[in-house]
Amino acid sequence: MNTIFRGAALTALAGSLAVVALPVLAQDKTTIEWWYANGGQIEVAIQDMIAEFNTSQDDFEVVGVRKGNYEETFAAMIAAYRVGQHPTIIQATERSFLTMLHSNAAVPVNQLMAEQGYDTDWSDFIAPVADFYVVDGAPAALPFNSSTGIMWFNADHFEAAGFDKPAETWDEFEEQLYAIKDQGISECGMVLNSDFPWSLLEAYSTINDYPFGTQANGFDGLGTEYVYNTTPVVQQVERLKRWIDDGIIQLSGNGMSPAQLFNSGTCSTWSASTASHAGVEAEAQFNWSATLQPHEAGVEPHNSNIGGAALWVLQGKADEEYAAAAAFIDFVAQPETQAWWSEQTGYIPVTNAAYELMADQGFFEEHPTREIALLQLTRHEPTDNSRGMRFGNSNQWWAVLLEELEAVWTDQKSAQEALDSSVARGNEILRQFEQLHAGS
Amino acid sequence: MRSSEDGLKRAHFKNHWLAAALLSPQLIILLFFFFIPSWKALSLAFVQVDPFGGKSLFVGWRNFTELFASESYRNSAWLTFWFTIVQNIATLALAGALAFATDHIIRGRFAYRSILLLPYAIAPVISGAIWAYLFNPTVGPVAMGIHAMGLPWDPNLRSGDALILITISAVWKHICYDYIFLVAAMLAVPQSLREAAAIDGAGQLKRFFTISLPLITPTIMYLFIINMVYGLFDTFPIIDAVTSGGPAGSTTTLVYKVYQDGFVMLNLGSSAAQSVILMILAVTFTVLQFRAMDRKVNYQV
Repeated sequence: MNTIFRGAALTALAGSLAVVALPVLAQDKTTIEWWYANGGQIEVAIQDMIAEFNTSQDDFEVVGVRKGNYEETFAAMIAAYRVGQHPTIIQATERSFLTMLHSNAAVPVNQLMAEQGYDTDWSDFIAPVADFYVVDGAPAALPFNSSTGIMWFNADHFEAAGFDKPAETWDEFEEQLYAIKDQGISECGMVLNSDFPWSLLEAYSTINDYPFGTQANGFDGLGTEYVYNTTPVVQQVERLKRWIDDGIIQLSGNGMSPAQLFNSGTCSTWSASTASHAGVEAEAQFNWSATLQPHEAGVEPHNSNIGGAALWVLQGKADEEYAAAAAFIDFVAQPETQAWWSEQTGYIPVTNAAYELMADQGFFEEHPTREIALLQLTRHEPTDNSRGMRFGNSNQWWAVLLEELEAVWTDQKSAQEALDSSVARGNEILRQFEQLHAGS
Repeated sequence: MRSSEDGLKRAHFKNHWLAAALLSPQLIILLFFFFIPSWKALSLAFVQVDPFGGKSLFVGWRNFTELFASESYRNSAWLTFWFTIVQNIATLALAGALAFATDHIIRGRFAYRSILLLPYAIAPVISGAIWAYLFNPTVGPVAMGIHAMGLPWDPNLRSGDALILITISAVWKHICYDYIFLVAAMLAVPQSLREAAAIDGAGQLKRFFTISLPLITPTIMYLFIINMVYGLFDTFPIIDAVTSGGPAGSTTTLVYKVYQDGFVMLNLGSSAAQSVILMILAVTFTVLQFRAMDRKVNYQV
């Protein structure tokens, strides 16, 4: 165990003592709130991190509050912001980057750190993270938990079917899944994750270097339009539909999480975030492993896109609260903290320094699956198609896309019809965002 | 009538300030929880707004015209209508049957009633999660049973199954409410009338339909309206926990759509326009119901 962090039990105890002691200490400490969205094992790590920060100095106190999932946290933050009761720090998804950037509600994190006298090295973020979050040379927010979708698999199932691991191309991977089903090894070849468009459509596009939207997927301006209905994404959706019809893919649906279906050994594969490590390592009682996402045959695979979230500092707070926020962000950005956080959760280390620290400790030799996300994120120089997705109001478009894809699964629409209609509706949403933020 | 009403007012409230003071808590609650939010909804319904409240564009009726032009909104309206009616009738029928049955049980009556009332004590989200699990096509025990009978069942992929599932959950949750009112109403039916009918040779069912039922119609009418309101507005947590409005929006009722568009998608303008429409619906519906009821229902039980 890392010497900085003396085990979860101690820090949890320190955390609860801090809460009990709060009324006494509150007079000489500046207390700020941080709203986050992760649950389960990851929330435990977040609370440990906060407790560690709080015991590391005497001036500031961070209170971490989980406000539900990402959407609920974001909605709660907005409701609070409108009445001036917002937290100082908010964790917002990479998907809401453009919305946050144009909101005028956030203090750019580089500006905050400079004003508070911290000399943060913004050039040390690893390439795909820096490419996404950096605007005009410095990140607008602190990349906190970054991830990418990898292919998890039940090694016992694959071995029983005579395979080493999932194949590199989608066609061969398909044959493997059908073989596992036909041989009666598993009734569930793959569980569809609830955020599957992220890894199976978006990352599919970046890995195969297909454009998702115009203007470098939105990096070059607000006038961007979705174009994924004109690329092999259509075939990918048809493929998923075929798998659903043939009983290869199961949708976990409400009442059951995709993670439970994989971790219990029910489903053979699962395309999900590398951050699932925290849960899989704690729960799976079989030989599991993970590998890179498949790509199309005859394509040189590019890097995948990042997901996860960043820490934003909100406007309208007092100076001492900004001092507290800056101290905390400085703590989070330390290579030691980053490496510890990555080891606890499975999120990628976001800085080169943290990556090197973990490599030096031999962490990746002991935990080879932890490096897959990084290998996938860095396996090719980012192109306009693979740098990431910067679309405004993307939570609206996301809901539209999910609804349209469900219409494919339920035989109401063909893949092409559903993608056409989601692009048309998505483009309207982009135009509304452009209209509202014209000139900003 | 007129003079007696005046007499009532004068007799009890000589001092107008006292009347106002007694009314004020209710009025203040209405102000904060109804009038101010309603005003906010109205003012938001005509703008397109940045969720943070920084920028807003006046768009006139566009939020409304877009809604009516939207196929998904019309589908949602039809679904809500269907769901509310079916849920209402099923709840009343089942609660009525149970109330009728327990009314004729002498021994263990209290225990039966207590068990029947239990679901009402469970939070809707929790009961929703339990239903979602029981009917989960991959791991749910009930779904396994359905599959074992050779029937297809998958609320994730079959819209009809999802609709059946939320209807079952919503009915199950609300039966208890209707049940307790119906039991009370049946207890109030004069025993002498039923005994007289029994002496005349009427069987239990005949006595129920000719004597009890007419006498409990006011309760049924009341429950009908309450169920309507429940189906329209209160089933939100159940839908959220059981299907999240899917698949493909097939269980997205109007209220759930307001939440989806407003709090998940942060499209506040459209969401406000939808809540204005719902408000108008609710007011119209209530006025119509009370007019119809006042004429047709005999309250003098």
